[in-house]
Amino acid sequence: MTVTVALRGTLKKYFGENNPRVIHAPEGSTCEDVLAIAGLDWTNIKNFGFVSVNNKRVMITDVIHDGDILKAFSKVFGG
Amino acid sequence: MYGYQNKVLRINLTDESATVEPLRMDFAEKYVGSKGLAIRYLYEELVPGIDPLSADNKLLFTTGPLTGTPVPCSGKLSIAAKSPATGTINDCSIGGHAALKIKYAGYDMIIFEGKLQKPGYVVITDEQVEFIDGAEVWGIGSHDAETFLSDKHGREYVVLSIGPAGENLVPLSCINSDYYRQAGRGGIGAVMGSKNMKAVLIKGTGGVKVPDIVNTTNRILDILHEDTLQEDNTFVFDLGTTAFLEACNDGGILPVNNFSDTTDEEWTQYNGDVLMEYRDGKRGCGSCGLGCGNFLKINDAVCEGPEYESISVAGPNAGIRDPYHIVKFNEVCDNMGVDTISTGDTIIWAMEMTEKGIYDFGIRFGDAEKMLEYVELIARQEGIGIELSKGTKRLSEKYGGTDFAMQVKGLEYPQYEPRGSWGMSLAYAVSDRGACHMRAYAPNEEVFAASIDPYTAAGKGQMVYDLGVFNAIKFSLCICDFWGTISYEIMAEVLTLVTGRTWTEDEMPVIGERVLNIARAFNQREGFNRKDDTMPKRLAKDALKNGPAAGQKIPEEAFEDMLNQYYEVMGWDKNGMMPESLIATL
Amino acid sequence: MKRLKWGKEKCIGCQLCAQVCSAMKEGEYIPSRARLDIESYYDRGALKYEASYCILCGICAKNCPVEAITIDEYITVDDDKCIACGICAEKCPKHIIKIRDEAAKICDTCKGDPTCVKACPQNALTFA
Repeated sequence: MTVTVALRGTLKKYFGENNPRVIHAPEGSTCEDVLAIAGLDWTNIKNFGFVSVNNKRVMITDVIHDGDILKAFSKVFGG
Repeated sequence: MYGYQNKVLRINLTDESATVEPLRMDFAEKYVGSKGLAIRYLYEELVPGIDPLSADNKLLFTTGPLTGTPVPCSGKLSIAAKSPATGTINDCSIGGHAALKIKYAGYDMIIFEGKLQKPGYVVITDEQVEFIDGAEVWGIGSHDAETFLSDKHGREYVVLSIGPAGENLVPLSCINSDYYRQAGRGGIGAVMGSKNMKAVLIKGTGGVKVPDIVNTTNRILDILHEDTLQEDNTFVFDLGTTAFLEACNDGGILPVNNFSDTTDEEWTQYNGDVLMEYRDGKRGCGSCGLGCGNFLKINDAVCEGPEYESISVAGPNAGIRDPYHIVKFNEVCDNMGVDTISTGDTIIWAMEMTEKGIYDFGIRFGDAEKMLEYVELIARQEGIGIELSKGTKRLSEKYGGTDFAMQVKGLEYPQYEPRGSWGMSLAYAVSDRGACHMRAYAPNEEVFAASIDPYTAAGKGQMVYDLGVFNAIKFSLCICDFWGTISYEIMAEVLTLVTGRTWTEDEMPVIGERVLNIARAFNQREGFNRKDDTMPKRLAKDALKNGPAAGQKIPEEAFEDMLNQYYEVMGWDKNGMMPESLIATL
Repeated sequence: MKRLKWGKEKCIGCQLCAQVCSAMKEGEYIPSRARLDIESYYDRGALKYEASYCILCGICAKNCPVEAITIDEYITVDDDKCIACGICAEKCPKHIIKIRDEAAKICDTCKGDPTCVKACPQNALTFA
């Protein structure tokens, strides 16, 4: 299946110019799996925040589907 | 200790006199400075039960030992008093350059007592204190007053001023400095107005001494470059807090139409990319490294800002999407001298009341022009502004609509929807000054988090405690919120470098907890307990319809459970009260 | 010869430059005694800047009546020769020279390694 991955905030540097990217992943992949295929190990990124699928926050372990847009955000401070 | 000036300037406005006394170093060793020190002094000096708008209230400007040194992000000033909006302790944090000028004038703290016989302003030039008739500036906007006073006395003076709202004792009023920086919340402007004090001007030509200054400075600059200037903090230079919009929208916590729902698909109409097209310049506070201030000009709307809070309350939460309106709202609030959060929340509550037919306040969601007009009416106490200036708590007690009067203790809700971030309902409930997002910033922990569940009560007591302790010590040093990556280790190191006393990493959260407790002790003495740590009924009754938190509401039992958890962690009893044994340690 | 340079686009008006300058030269954080003065401020709806810092123009040295000022890679004031007449301060086009304690206080770029540049968090102040 095909998923679009977009990085936000301080995570943008991991994709550089090529943001967002189209990623191919097996059916049943989780957000975590898709990020790993895209080259990101979220557990090793200190400021990793959260992910959203089609503009809605989900848990990193949630399953993703063909055609979805996956965004990953860094943490923020302040208000 | 070094760093401190060891001096408090005590100004008696009734007699128009001023004295200098030593700083209570016993307080400083336990509370450091800024937030903690101010609250400890107020706990000591204010008799319980006074009217916050009477001459018995005291207004404290408090710096910390780091103020006036190159420690990054150390330029904020605590302005504290008993709050006319809530009756609790209220400490605000204002940027700009006032904190540094006070320190360079030779003081750690300035205490304003009593009340001027007639409207006036105070000019402090190092050791000299003057009381000047305020007839020329009373009644005009805060910005207009700052311009007039700056022209008259010279730009070397920092100006803190109130607008017509503070003069009119509006509980939504703020204190401004550097035009666009505020001590915003809890009606702090009304305390200054109740003292007939339009402005305070400060010029300081002295300095701050630290041990081994060359090596200390070099080490501080290392920390600036290695920690403060990492991109996890520097995002505020590029977009400021507009960076939160997309995260809050996707996160399901961006409030819409007076917190009746979340998520605005059209958020890109007023987001950071749009607003920054109108950016004319960048600004930071004294000793800042990050420069969060964005100076914007859209037609005749001129403002350094707007921050996420103002964008949300004048934007989607009011049913409005026009970037011009959002910036103009910020500008008018600043000049009139009112808090954008509380004023915005009160007006949008009035919109919902009108739409529901409960009471006709003459304004509906989306009515941008009226919203701007109402800010002026509130500040000047004209027309419907007389009623609206009371804030959502008093208004809802009178007119109904209490379920959706989004406030705690009389301080209105910042712009994060707790049904999408359950811990935030707890943070708002137990914050020392009413609903405040700067005590425990729950969304960053439970919404902007990959594997934490925002829609549960589990573990939220500990979470709000940990976040609250961290900010309490941070704001007592004082370090600005935006140095997000600062650690207890760095806090202890910079304190040690600057003061010459050894502060330890382990001591930092202990002091943070003590600061939370002294604030609670103040409130407890004023009669506050569990019954006042509340959640608006909307959050328990109405489920969200949109966004990732669709279907979520916070059951009463879950909220009560979070309160119980928090009280237990703090060592308070089931009624949220501190035992005498704990108060004695403060 | 390297000189201090400043650009307003990056300046946030934090005044860390003046703080560290005074630390190195006066032994205190006392920006009123720094050898540079860079500020931003609001005036009638506009953001304005004032930047006074030594540009190594050498006018002070040329005008010193007792030849107390020498200029090479940076400026040096011979305190023994200086008579605190104030002519250098008067002639300085950046108005940044101060006379205090019977001597002229002039930026010496921290002898070619300016601390203000190290402190500037946004690289508004550079040395090139």
